[in-house]
Amino acid sequence: MKLKKLLLIPLIVILAGINCEDAYASENLPYQTYNYDYWGDVFYTPAAYIPDQSISGADLGTDQMVTPQDMYVAEDGKTYICDSGNNRILILNSDLKLDHIIDNFDNQGTADTFLNPSGIYVSSKNELYIADTDHMRVVVLDESGGIIKIIQNPTSEVLDSDFQFAPLKVTVDYAGRVYVVAKNMFQGIMAFDENGDFSGFSGTIQVEISSYDKFWRIFSTKSQRERQIQFIPTEFTGIDIAPDGFVYATNVDTNGIQSIRRLNPKGQDVIKKKKTGNLSGDLYWSDNDEYGGASRIADVVYRGNGIYSVIDTTRGRVFTYDDEGDLLYIFGGMGSQEGTFRNPAAIEVVGDKILVLDSFRGEVMSFVPTEYGNLINQAVALRYDGDEASAVEVWKKVLKLDANFELAYTGIGKSYLAAGENKKAMEYLKLGMNREYYSIAFKRYRDDMLKENMAYVLSGGLLLVIALFIRKAIKKRKIKGATENE
Amino acid sequence: MSKKEKMLYPFYVISHPFDGFYEIRHREKGSVPLALLLVFLFGLSFSLNRRYAGFVVNLNNPLYVNAVSEVIGTFLFVLLIAAANWSITCLMEGEGRFRDILTVIGYSMLPIVLTLIPITVISWFIAADEESLYYLVIYISIIFFVILFLIGIMIVHNFSFAKTLFTLVLTLVSLLIIIFIILLIFSLLDQIKSFLLSVYTEIVLRV
Repeated sequence: MKLKKLLLIPLIVILAGINCEDAYASENLPYQTYNYDYWGDVFYTPAAYIPDQSISGADLGTDQMVTPQDMYVAEDGKTYICDSGNNRILILNSDLKLDHIIDNFDNQGTADTFLNPSGIYVSSKNELYIADTDHMRVVVLDESGGIIKIIQNPTSEVLDSDFQFAPLKVTVDYAGRVYVVAKNMFQGIMAFDENGDFSGFSGTIQVEISSYDKFWRIFSTKSQRERQIQFIPTEFTGIDIAPDGFVYATNVDTNGIQSIRRLNPKGQDVIKKKKTGNLSGDLYWSDNDEYGGASRIADVVYRGNGIYSVIDTTRGRVFTYDDEGDLLYIFGGMGSQEGTFRNPAAIEVVGDKILVLDSFRGEVMSFVPTEYGNLINQAVALRYDGDEASAVEVWKKVLKLDANFELAYTGIGKSYLAAGENKKAMEYLKLGMNREYYSIAFKRYRDDMLKENMAYVLSGGLLLVIALFIRKAIKKRKIKGATENE
Repeated sequence: MSKKEKMLYPFYVISHPFDGFYEIRHREKGSVPLALLLVFLFGLSFSLNRRYAGFVVNLNNPLYVNAVSEVIGTFLFVLLIAAANWSITCLMEGEGRFRDILTVIGYSMLPIVLTLIPITVISWFIAADEESLYYLVIYISIIFFVILFLIGIMIVHNFSFAKTLFTLVLTLVSLLIIIFIILLIFSLLDQIKSFLLSVYTEIVLRV
């Protein structure tokens, strides 16, 4: 009997070791995974994604990639990489092995090539939209490399006559409208109709002049004003599209307030933000560090279920948000180890993997979710579908791995609220720092308490009134007695 | 004036501010220890409110609520204001003494001391759309405090209202000057300390 028990111990140790493997792997990561709590303080979480592999040109059996600028994963799982320095497009199959290369195409009988292509999009019909930057055009090819059309020289009265159309990033919606981020175009994203004719701007960013600047401009002379930096809106950096036709675009915001926009078909920003929250990566940073400054968001990928991830080139971090603007997890960093970046340029998702294109190293880094990351994705997806009841079980598992995750508490609290367990809902919503829903739960709880105890309160009041009457009557009688005695 | 009367006198002051403050100045009805007690109670209830107000209205991070430093800070701030005000008003023919100014500040705080803790308890029972009640009570008590303070300063110095406001602006300026001088002294002390320290090391190493 005793021997059996002794034998059990190594078994337990081994089993525990197997369970710990995931946690152990995350301890050896070259980066921290963290998040911000309600107060804006950093709290460290278990790893959400861990490095899987890095794919360089040599790994694919071809030349090294030179400053690749963009990447796109098509609906069939094929990955298209814009190898800008080599003027070619690499196409990988869904196992991330090289499928074929496009470096020239047949343009009405003559062989044509690309020059510094820096953006690519592949439609659901497998049409390639390539932003051929230094040739000042967007080339549309079919799957085999045959030409469909070329978008170039947009003309409109809102464009300057000497405007140089240098497309950087491109995306296309379900109706064939093409959205192009162009170099030195500060008026917004250029939208083209399905025939390739320029139709207008989308998502114009308003310039905000602070009152401080306005104040000083009053006092500055004309020549001073000319020499001041001009107040121009920031440029867009990356673009992606959701299946419902909403464009996700990123821009540079040196104040770190809003770097991500979700544009409706009218071109208005309709992204959801937390009341005081920002949508620009890190909340705090130092200014004069090697990795200082606000997060510079370079690219965005829409991942379905309202989740989107962005990549920051300042500190090499991947930020993932849900549809309500809550941060889900932050991971990644700068460096030379596997899983870190030198100059991340694009982010994509294939299956449940996150791919990040590093343009300095010419590599694609892939990350796989851990149990923690998977659970969060699952729970947010369930919540997005409106299935909050089944999300609760997943949120509970998340809390076992990370007891600080406020979103999980809120999720559980909301479902208790729906189930009518107001006391429990209050407890969880308070932990989730959700005042709005806490208040609803609290109101219901308060009403219940009042209803339950109304009988006692009323009968207590009645007794009190009777007691007062009796006291008064006794007093009266006593006074009467006293006067009679005199 | 009996002890009990003196203790209850602040309640008379908040209901009859003009007479009350006049008698503090001219008939010695105020008490500095009592005023300081009220300042202490104000600091305490302020801290308690920050820590224990209901979740719906409490926007403070409990990690950063520190009762000791808040009470001490309140005391320092009151002393600073009193000193700044006194330094200005005694140059502008104000009749009030330093103790009168302290008493005015302390006694004016009574409405806030009286409301802050009850409203903290009430805040446990209110939901999001009823929070205006909470803020209403707090704002009323603060406005009450400001009115009492203005009347008190006016009466103890025998100023007109306009002159009171003017001296308060000057008080703010002198407040900044005092803070500046305090900072200057500290940095000076720091330099003297480092000077003495270097002299000491020099002597120790040479001799």
